[in-house]
Amino acid sequence: MLSRVADTLYWMSRFVERAEGVTRLVEIHRDTDLESDARSGDFGYWHSTLQSMCAKEQFEEDEMQGPDAFLLFSSQWNNSVINSINSARENARMVRDQLSEEIWVELNSLYHFLNSKNAILEYQNDESSFFRRIIRFSLVFQGLSDATIHHDEGWRFMSLGKYLERADLTSRVLDTLTLLGSDPSRLDLIRALRSCSAFSAYRKRYRGALTMHNVADFLLFSQDFPRSIRFSIRGVDAQLHEISGVPSGNFSNEAERLAGSALAQVNFSNIDSMIRSGLHNSIDDLQKNLMEVGQSIFETYVLLPFEIKSTSPLPLLQMQQQQ
Amino acid sequence: MPLNRFSSYETDGFFDEMFGLGDGSEPLDHYHRLVSRIAKLDGERMEAKQRQAASSFLEHGITFTVYGDDKGSERIFPFDLIPRVIPLTEWQLVEQGLSQRIIALNLFLNDVYHGAKIIKDGIIPREVVESSPHFRREMIGFDVPRDIYIHICGSDLIRDENGKYLVLEDNARCPSGVSYLLENRQIMKKAFPLTYRDMSVRPVEAYPELLLKTLEFLSPRQSGKPVCVLLTPGVYNSAYFEHTYLARQMGIEIVEGRDLITTDGFVYMRTTHGLVQVDVIYRRMDDEFLDPTFFNKDSLLGVSGLMDSYLRGNVSLANGIGTGVSDDKVTYAYVPEMIRYYLDQEPILDQVPTYLCWKEEDCKFVLENLPDLVVKPANESGGYGMLVGSASTQKQRMEFAQRIRASPRDYIAQPIVALSRHPTFCEGGIEGRHVDLRPFILYGEDVEIVPGGLTRVALEKGSLVVNSSQGGGSKDTWVLKD
Repeated sequence: MLSRVADTLYWMSRFVERAEGVTRLVEIHRDTDLESDARSGDFGYWHSTLQSMCAKEQFEEDEMQGPDAFLLFSSQWNNSVINSINSARENARMVRDQLSEEIWVELNSLYHFLNSKNAILEYQNDESSFFRRIIRFSLVFQGLSDATIHHDEGWRFMSLGKYLERADLTSRVLDTLTLLGSDPSRLDLIRALRSCSAFSAYRKRYRGALTMHNVADFLLFSQDFPRSIRFSIRGVDAQLHEISGVPSGNFSNEAERLAGSALAQVNFSNIDSMIRSGLHNSIDDLQKNLMEVGQSIFETYVLLPFEIKSTSPLPLLQMQQQQ
Repeated sequence: MPLNRFSSYETDGFFDEMFGLGDGSEPLDHYHRLVSRIAKLDGERMEAKQRQAASSFLEHGITFTVYGDDKGSERIFPFDLIPRVIPLTEWQLVEQGLSQRIIALNLFLNDVYHGAKIIKDGIIPREVVESSPHFRREMIGFDVPRDIYIHICGSDLIRDENGKYLVLEDNARCPSGVSYLLENRQIMKKAFPLTYRDMSVRPVEAYPELLLKTLEFLSPRQSGKPVCVLLTPGVYNSAYFEHTYLARQMGIEIVEGRDLITTDGFVYMRTTHGLVQVDVIYRRMDDEFLDPTFFNKDSLLGVSGLMDSYLRGNVSLANGIGTGVSDDKVTYAYVPEMIRYYLDQEPILDQVPTYLCWKEEDCKFVLENLPDLVVKPANESGGYGMLVGSASTQKQRMEFAQRIRASPRDYIAQPIVALSRHPTFCEGGIEGRHVDLRPFILYGEDVEIVPGGLTRVALEKGSLVVNSSQGGGSKDTWVLKD
């Protein structure tokens, strides 16, 4: 398929996943803020969230009221929910021919809704409906992607985007915990788990008390929870091998090599060794690896060999726009 | 027959598609069934159907982009629920006339790029051809695949005060609008399923297939399945919806300039599995933007080396390069002569008398009669830059007179034709609005025209300008089976 189309599908899917993730974060924070033992007043958790999303400075410069409105509606910050949906829709518009009518209609309707006055009104009057609408959209989008289009190369690039974005989001949620400054409270841990829809799944695995050790273990290393970092990287690795046709464990390009090595890292290390070497730094390294995987997918499948070394402004510009 | 919805309908002395030359009390035979259906609908039902149609267009993203308007620049093309109906015999005449015309236009292009006999024989002056901004010297002596230049043509037809069909202009570069024709039909089938079935309307849905056949016919590689692509200027182009729509319907790739690359005179597209050779490009951008090494150096849209590959015959383009000389509005005036010259036939379809401002006596006449004429730039599209004399101010006419004197070659003038009207759903009920018709003609192995075309309607009361960029809308067009 066309390289640009593959790239566009990949980003469309990432942006949808991102919109869902950020919405979930805001929803959980809003909800937890109601609890009497929440760190009220200082917004500690909100701040470390903004920090882990690399959005702290932008937030301070932004005119939006409060971090929730900023994360949802900021027109300045690229990763706000509204901007993610706008980007997803923009990408979808470029590859309409690859999508089913149903996928397009869902995404387009949400786009028109978010860009109308009704969006802010609904958020102000009934925020839970607002959150549900966006999260439901993302789930419908994934369902339709699985049920209404060919599971061909394009679909694999969409899955690739989804898994990379999930790994990235989960790593940021974990990072939020390490950025809190002191030991995370029980509520903070619950927030983190719920931000990844992982609370009940975690309960099933660890019946006992909530500890930072177990939460980090779960979000990083769970074999079978679909938002754990390990699970997501395995998804990335599997899709890459499906695309190239090269068996897993081998590699035929840089993207596969990097994804394989990231997978090996989460497969063959454990939470204790990570805590020993510093959780924050380990997560940082992991995020860097994920970014490199993303970059090498672009270099492998979108650029032609002679373009990678050259400093041709077009692809670089394009990447900046996208990220 | 009690015609509730039409009881106060006035034809105001115009030829009316539904009522002919009558006063609006008795519809023409081929409209009977439709009228009885619509007459029965109460205002609310009609409005509900209209709203449904509009939201369906928006939801499906069937929109066009208005340039120079940065917020909310995506709009739907307003759609009117009352279809235009054309009886078969009437359509057959139009069809023959359009086939004759596209064949003559192609012979003309082949001639002007191969020795220009028509000029030597004094039918059309050399200046007219060579001063056209779309005349491409590079094409002289080059044999285009299958000798066809215009593969896709959109000719605009109007009907005068007596209901006679006239050709108003030909669009032989990148005609657009066919996706609306196809989508309008989908919407109408949902809005009036029984009426649609009972009236035996000829289907239009084969267009994408016919278009693909037309493209494949051009492939320089005859073995295997030709690789055809649709080249779009990109997502911000006003017709982008149409580009993706057609590509999807044909099952071909929609590419931008940056997806293509040329090496050793061949064109390739970049795919995730490397480079794939391209045979035919259905390009939806003008000549000037196709190849920055050849035409406009600042164009970021095109593909470097594309013209070289084209001139080597390694890739085919639809439409060909240089077709713009045939849809120049000055050339238009000579089309009836071309038909006689190349085909030895009388033109089946008449056209609007045209004054050419580059001719001294015409220019004099035009300047003296501006209030009674329509003045058009010879090479614009989208209804931009024209003057409708009867609706103009003294100041506007002065300005136009100045422009005409400064560059007479760039202007033509025509008498104001009282375009036919069609009952249209308006705020105050059903009223007559002026319409035209754009059929889409495909020229490959055969000439193929899907029945009907895009009926465009000037939604503003009294307006004669039907272009989407100027407040026009559209209607479905029903050609009947018998």
